[in-house]
Amino acid sequence: MPRAFAALRRSIRFAPPALTAFVVAVVPLRARGEEPRPEAEPVEIVVTGAPGSARAPAAQSTVIQADQFAGEVRSVAEMLSASPGVSLHALGGPGQATTLSLRGASADQSLVLLDGIPLHGPGGGAVDLATLPASLLDRLVISRGVLGAQFGAGALGGVVELIPRRPRNDRAAADARLTAGSFGTFGASTSASVPWSAEGGGLVALQVDRSAGDFPYDQQLTPEIAGSPYYDFTRANADSWRGSALLRGGWPIAGESGVDVLFQGSIGERGLPGSAASPTPRSREVDHSGLLGARFRGAAGPAAYSVRAWADVDRIELRGVSAFGDCADGTPDCPRSLQSASAARGEVEMGAPLGERQWVRGSVTAGMDRATGDATGFHRRGVFSASLSDDVRLGAVSLFPALRVDVVGKDAGLSPAIATTVRPWSAPIELRAGAGLSFRAPTFSELYLRQGGLAPNTDLAPERGRSIDVGVAYRSAKLTVSAGAFVSWYRDLIVYESFPPAAVKPFNVGSARISGFELQAVAALPYRLTVQLAYTALQATNTRPGTLEGHSLPYRPPHRLFVRVAHHADRFESYAEANATASMPRNQFDTAFLPAQLLINAGAGARVAGTLWIDVEAKNLLDDRTMQDLFQYPLPGLSLAVIARARL
Amino acid sequence: MHRIRIVLLVCLFACGGGNPPPKPLEHIALPSGALLDPYDASKPGEARPLYTTQLGGRVYASLGNLNPSTFAPAGPGFLASIDPITGQVEAINLGGTSRHQCTNPGVVRQDSQKLYVACAGDFSGTTPGRGVFEVDPTTKAVTRGLVTGTGYVPSGVAVTATKIWVGDNAKPQLISIDRTTFAAADGADAAHPPIPVPCPSTGKGPFVPYVGIVNGDLYALCATTEAGLLARFDAQTGAAKGSVAVGAEPTEFTATGDGRIAVVNSNDNTMTLVTPGATLSAQVALTFNSATATLQDVKARGRFLYTVASTSNTVQKIDLAAPGGPKVVADANTGLASNPFNLEALDDDTVVVVNWATSDVVAPQLKTVQ
Repeated sequence: MPRAFAALRRSIRFAPPALTAFVVAVVPLRARGEEPRPEAEPVEIVVTGAPGSARAPAAQSTVIQADQFAGEVRSVAEMLSASPGVSLHALGGPGQATTLSLRGASADQSLVLLDGIPLHGPGGGAVDLATLPASLLDRLVISRGVLGAQFGAGALGGVVELIPRRPRNDRAAADARLTAGSFGTFGASTSASVPWSAEGGGLVALQVDRSAGDFPYDQQLTPEIAGSPYYDFTRANADSWRGSALLRGGWPIAGESGVDVLFQGSIGERGLPGSAASPTPRSREVDHSGLLGARFRGAAGPAAYSVRAWADVDRIELRGVSAFGDCADGTPDCPRSLQSASAARGEVEMGAPLGERQWVRGSVTAGMDRATGDATGFHRRGVFSASLSDDVRLGAVSLFPALRVDVVGKDAGLSPAIATTVRPWSAPIELRAGAGLSFRAPTFSELYLRQGGLAPNTDLAPERGRSIDVGVAYRSAKLTVSAGAFVSWYRDLIVYESFPPAAVKPFNVGSARISGFELQAVAALPYRLTVQLAYTALQATNTRPGTLEGHSLPYRPPHRLFVRVAHHADRFESYAEANATASMPRNQFDTAFLPAQLLINAGAGARVAGTLWIDVEAKNLLDDRTMQDLFQYPLPGLSLAVIARARL
Repeated sequence: MHRIRIVLLVCLFACGGGNPPPKPLEHIALPSGALLDPYDASKPGEARPLYTTQLGGRVYASLGNLNPSTFAPAGPGFLASIDPITGQVEAINLGGTSRHQCTNPGVVRQDSQKLYVACAGDFSGTTPGRGVFEVDPTTKAVTRGLVTGTGYVPSGVAVTATKIWVGDNAKPQLISIDRTTFAAADGADAAHPPIPVPCPSTGKGPFVPYVGIVNGDLYALCATTEAGLLARFDAQTGAAKGSVAVGAEPTEFTATGDGRIAVVNSNDNTMTLVTPGATLSAQVALTFNSATATLQDVKARGRFLYTVASTSNTVQKIDLAAPGGPKVVADANTGLASNPFNLEALDDDTVVVVNWATSDVVAPQLKTVQ
């Protein structure tokens, strides 16, 4: 065993979780002695020792293995619904924009990372989860809390890490998957993995989706009368298509050194159908995005390090969109609106033991963010960050202090955090506690977007947040249960306010307190059954002085429960799940509410020949066609799908 | 084969007896194209009606005449004179010889067989097109007008025998016009400053969306994003006579048949009833069911109130004398994406509604159903 690697293994024995995470990040699978998960086969869910995030090992977290949904039609957003603390804002059916809220924070306050690279929307803000290809992912790690010290500015609600699939190192492999379902929905994905050396290999994965989106829905036309009838409508201009690709390659160089490269690209188009009351049949959106990263990893004595560079670009074009509805694309008064954002970074990360009980990790990142568009003009800003974290093991107690400084354009801030885990008993019970403080710099859109009735505000300051949480977890071979409570405080929140004479403009005027309780459990039952449960209780209170003080923040469900029972065997698989969301306020005055919703899905499949599996799936089994999203966009009723997958 | 099975399965579960949507209401189109005297003949505006009033059996609606994409004025402001019986529509050009005398017309009032309309220009308070204009509906001509000074953006209009009061969309204040001479009075100069309107202490963007005369007193709303106040003034002098809190971002009010004042609040989906007396008192009378009603208008007729919920494309009839308190007894839809803005009640069960987004007029029935 090489000296450097032996040192790493020795460090692992005293088990600083962050070191484990660091090894996961920089050492190839083969070197870690892990076997890649076979593709396109039912997976027995292992419920022990979910490691959580590499960067925030003591954070309240949930790990979702993507391949447990192999026999189902799942978007990234639908996968995330299995986690507590997650609230999803979907604008309609398949392929339509979907954003994420963690612990009641806004979509802009939740980071989404792909292989550690932060993603962003075309205005620099919230990520549209519908543009991310689910079949190209290996797993999703959701870490909750103010985690700026661990992940950087912007992580005020938490972070979702999307871990893309890795190449196999042992043999060539390929898989393919076809889906067809209601409302003209089709999908195809395939991947091929080729090893080219003992520790190197490449992966190519492709995904194509298309949906006509023309689902029926029911709507009341006279809602002020109790019990007034619902009428049947068919969603129009809700079609979408998307093509995505993932390329990964790893090349060992010498010893523990190596280079790996990642490319992910996506192109799509969709109709923008508008709300049920105000449909927009002529509005369209075309988007392109691409991300390219390369990392060199190595070891120097007992230390491990990596050097990484990456760049990404997101481009979106709106057609037939006007300030108060749609317009005829191509006419002189209805110009297309183009908006793009790009980023480039260089990053050096190093970890090394400090004595027998500590593992210290530091990183320095620098780069540039850029935005250009008809509505924002051209702008760019430099970005710099430096972080230092320590993992300290003191008997049954582990401490995880972390500090990070971020400079985003003219805004700079410190993000300190401290977390601890305690294993006070011989039983597999772990107590956790953490606290963090961070900020979010204004996005390019908030600073510069001038469109329709939106006015820019270049004087915006960063939003600030702090949180504390405590939790307990029990892990055994058959059962994992974790529960936690948190409270977060936010100030200087950026809120769009009326700006005379006829516009709205963002100001740093909001403040809020969000507290909650999260429970998750996974149990392996007899007969290869697995039960998952995720529950969230949330109280989001506006603390801005004035009329709104004490009222609920809109669009935050006070309760959400997800329950899933799945069966995976050698020849058969099936699942059933329920997702219940309590009624939630729709405005800031607690005078309008979105009704409670219950979504039940189920599916079953069989291995019909060799590695070929055929599954059928039904979503929204109750065929509730009256469901709407937060912005009154109709959601689909019952939909059926057939999924065929095989390992080639 | 798979697809056929899917279709059959879908039908098994989902193909039931449906409830097809009702036929769209018959509508009256408002003037368009060259009839709106566009500044650029190749880019005519759309009518985009806002406020209404009734006079002599006709309904008068202010027309924004806006570019359909940018919503900037595409031509002079207009009044539409609508015969609700025959559907005949006549356009009254408010642009004057310059064609820029009035743009973005808003609130229109009638008094003594004349119409008074407030024009906001481009809302900047600095460009032409702002003022208050008197229209003779028989000759269909602007008879008098006052171009407001720099900084003023006329919103609501209230007419007394001696003065015309005008709310300001840019600041929480009132200005007035001498009705005899049509010269500026309050707000004319430093010696005659505007009358300040008390506003809520919370929320952004205080402005005066609406003014009116009730029982001889002048009332003005001040609206912010979070709150609202209804203030009372002496209609001759402008002296303040108290105020009361109403809902968030109130838009309009009207005197009810039982002597109260009904205020609709666009941001919190509520209607407030204000009881005038030595002091003003108020209570929330109704919270609307629809999630985002965006209430824009309220009118009164006997025991009934009529409201417009713009975002849900609906209009309501409210029985003030219903057992248990005010109650919505009828609701009608004006069409998907129509964004109704104002209405006029022709009788207890029929209203004429102007739709901002579709630039047309509909006349739904509001027969009591509950």
